[in-house]
Amino acid sequence: MRNKISNYLNNGDLRRFRFWLQLSLFILFVYGGYAAINIGDNLPTFSCTYVDGKPGTCFLVPLQHRMVTTPEKLFSYAGMAILTGLFYFTLWFLVFNKAWCGYACPLGTVQDWITALRKKLGMQYVTYSWGQFKVLKKIKYIFLLLLIFIPMGIGSGMFSHDMGVPFCMICPARTILPMFSGDFSQLTIDFSSKTKMIMTSLGMLITGIFLVGAFVKKRFFCFFCPMSAFHYLLSKPALLKLKKDGSKCTKCGDCYSVCDMQIKEIADNIDDRNILQDDCIMCFKCVAACPEEGALEVDFMGQPVFEATVQGYIKRMEKANKNG
Amino acid sequence: MGNEIEIEEKKVPFNRTPQAIEAERMLRRIKDDFQDNPAAMDYFYDLYEQVYCKGQSLHEKEKIVGTMCVQVPEELIYAAGGVPVRLCNGFYTDDQVGAEFMPAKSCSLVKATLGMLDKRSTLPFVDKIENIILPATCDQKRKAGSMIGEMGYEVYNMEVPPVKESEEARLYWRRSVHNFAVSLKGITGKKITKASLKEALAKVAAAQKAYRTLHNLRKESPSIFLGKDAFMVTNAYFFDKIENWTAAVNKLNAELEQRIEEKITAAQRRAPRILFTGSPAIFPNLKLPVLTEESGGVIVADETCSSNRMLYDMVAVDEYNTENMVASIADNYLKPCTCPIFTKNDDRIRKLINMAKDFAVDGVVYQSFSGCQVYQMEHSSIAKALKAEGVPMLFVESDYSPDDMGQLSTRIEAFIESLKAKRRRKR
Repeated sequence: MRNKISNYLNNGDLRRFRFWLQLSLFILFVYGGYAAINIGDNLPTFSCTYVDGKPGTCFLVPLQHRMVTTPEKLFSYAGMAILTGLFYFTLWFLVFNKAWCGYACPLGTVQDWITALRKKLGMQYVTYSWGQFKVLKKIKYIFLLLLIFIPMGIGSGMFSHDMGVPFCMICPARTILPMFSGDFSQLTIDFSSKTKMIMTSLGMLITGIFLVGAFVKKRFFCFFCPMSAFHYLLSKPALLKLKKDGSKCTKCGDCYSVCDMQIKEIADNIDDRNILQDDCIMCFKCVAACPEEGALEVDFMGQPVFEATVQGYIKRMEKANKNG
Repeated sequence: MGNEIEIEEKKVPFNRTPQAIEAERMLRRIKDDFQDNPAAMDYFYDLYEQVYCKGQSLHEKEKIVGTMCVQVPEELIYAAGGVPVRLCNGFYTDDQVGAEFMPAKSCSLVKATLGMLDKRSTLPFVDKIENIILPATCDQKRKAGSMIGEMGYEVYNMEVPPVKESEEARLYWRRSVHNFAVSLKGITGKKITKASLKEALAKVAAAQKAYRTLHNLRKESPSIFLGKDAFMVTNAYFFDKIENWTAAVNKLNAELEQRIEEKITAAQRRAPRILFTGSPAIFPNLKLPVLTEESGGVIVADETCSSNRMLYDMVAVDEYNTENMVASIADNYLKPCTCPIFTKNDDRIRKLINMAKDFAVDGVVYQSFSGCQVYQMEHSSIAKALKAEGVPMLFVESDYSPDDMGQLSTRIEAFIESLKAKRRRKR
């Protein structure tokens, strides 16, 4: 019985499974609120607060709000609020790890749809050179630091309150996701103050870059996402894991060829069992593209749920060659 | 003036040439010295007979592109409408002819290939070859390139990085493969298109799938299939029509699965299980595998460029556009390659250890052709790594000449006996 289930899973068509799960979760995160679903305000994914039908809120929103405080308050009751928020965020996150990015994030899903459109048009995607990759990957950590320190600067009077929720102002989720419920109001520049004008203009500019970027580069924005950086800091104890058995790896590079995030370690690192890298979105395309029995596997609480097998690999590749 | 007497050179029929006799002899040994060969092996025995003993051609209309090493991406050749034929040769008769091109202590394989190409018309596919793709692998192959050029062939030198771990190497090789893909149009007259490349990928993938199944069937214990036949199968991939080859291997796999059910084994339960590595066993120079199995061992797996290294690793593609397909193909021909020409070879060690475990191997036979420096140089590191894992290894330096047969069989018999004794002690 157990064997049958694992065979079924390992032979599964990950592409199709992922498409439908992403679509369902997209509907949940964009329209769930209309069905009176409420899953809280500390979600580890872009359940954007500017979306009318949101079922909950992205953790970065309350975080940025709560950080607008003075150091004294931060170490008393305001700090408690931040910690409880962080607690719920961590609980959510620990279960699914970075699969929140690859399966749940509505902005990630939008990027995958843009990619699908490009594919339909028969266009080639671009990749970063190794040098660019190493520099650009640091940006998400800078964003993360800024979205914590700018609100603290507001709290201590260094910045204007118009700088509030600074990351949301430039986040493409704010401008793009509301459009799915017919709300185009975020696509404006706010002229009420100089700071607001700058921030909203920046937001518009980044939205433009996002649309072009996602069209030419797979998962363009995820590379810069501060949520992804935050995830990585907490990912070690998570229950869902991506594991590699280096002794079974031939370094054939199939996993690297299919990786949306250009993660080289997945193919070249044969020493680490826990192979999750900070840029990983846990889409598990690498596991689906691995022809070595058990070289890559997805574990949940130590139990393998999806494992690389030759049989599964061949099934998926034959299908991809036919349809691709 | 007297009549000029024209002496017409009498053409020896192919089946009476020294090669045909050499091929015939080995083929008989492989077929007749062993009982109960799988019926599906007849396809392969007949194929060798047809090509090497009778000199019949296989590819009539297709444009044949000769390849000199396992690093040449055959998907690209198929996509350009050509048929890749691997020219690495195993004939002693050709080795002797080729000796005039190379220094005394050189690799038999390189000499035999040069000899075969120099004579041109002896083998049915060689006379049709105009273009040869030569990756810059070991020194001897590299230098053979200009000699082959002087013989009148069009040689395409394909650049291979000497280090394979770095990002530089990946990019360099990807460019090299890309240039090759573009140049193929000049060779076959057909441009590679998205559709043709996709089809070629599927064709090679089907062959690799068949190979992988066979490879995994050899894990069975007691063994259901002999290594000498496995080498015949993979070696046929050098020159056979790929669709026919795949169909024949699938048929063989089906028969072997049947044999598992019927509990028909190819070797005794106690026959030591051998992993074969090093210089490739290429027909008719199968003396080492055959001696090993005549001495009571059974080769259950191999790590050589005439077999496993050529067919094992499969290409995965994310988006089927030409650029991506070529890049994925390129990575697949470099990164997992365990050819000893590269600076480091941790991958080969890892692969051998993993295979020794997976196939419950009792011992390793390491063949190195005399004059193949790279394999000789890797000997000590491989021996050390295997010793640490408790796997005994026999290092055999040999060439294509039949002279060392007696000495070899003594050594191999002793090795097999020692493995048997080790097994007995364990129990």
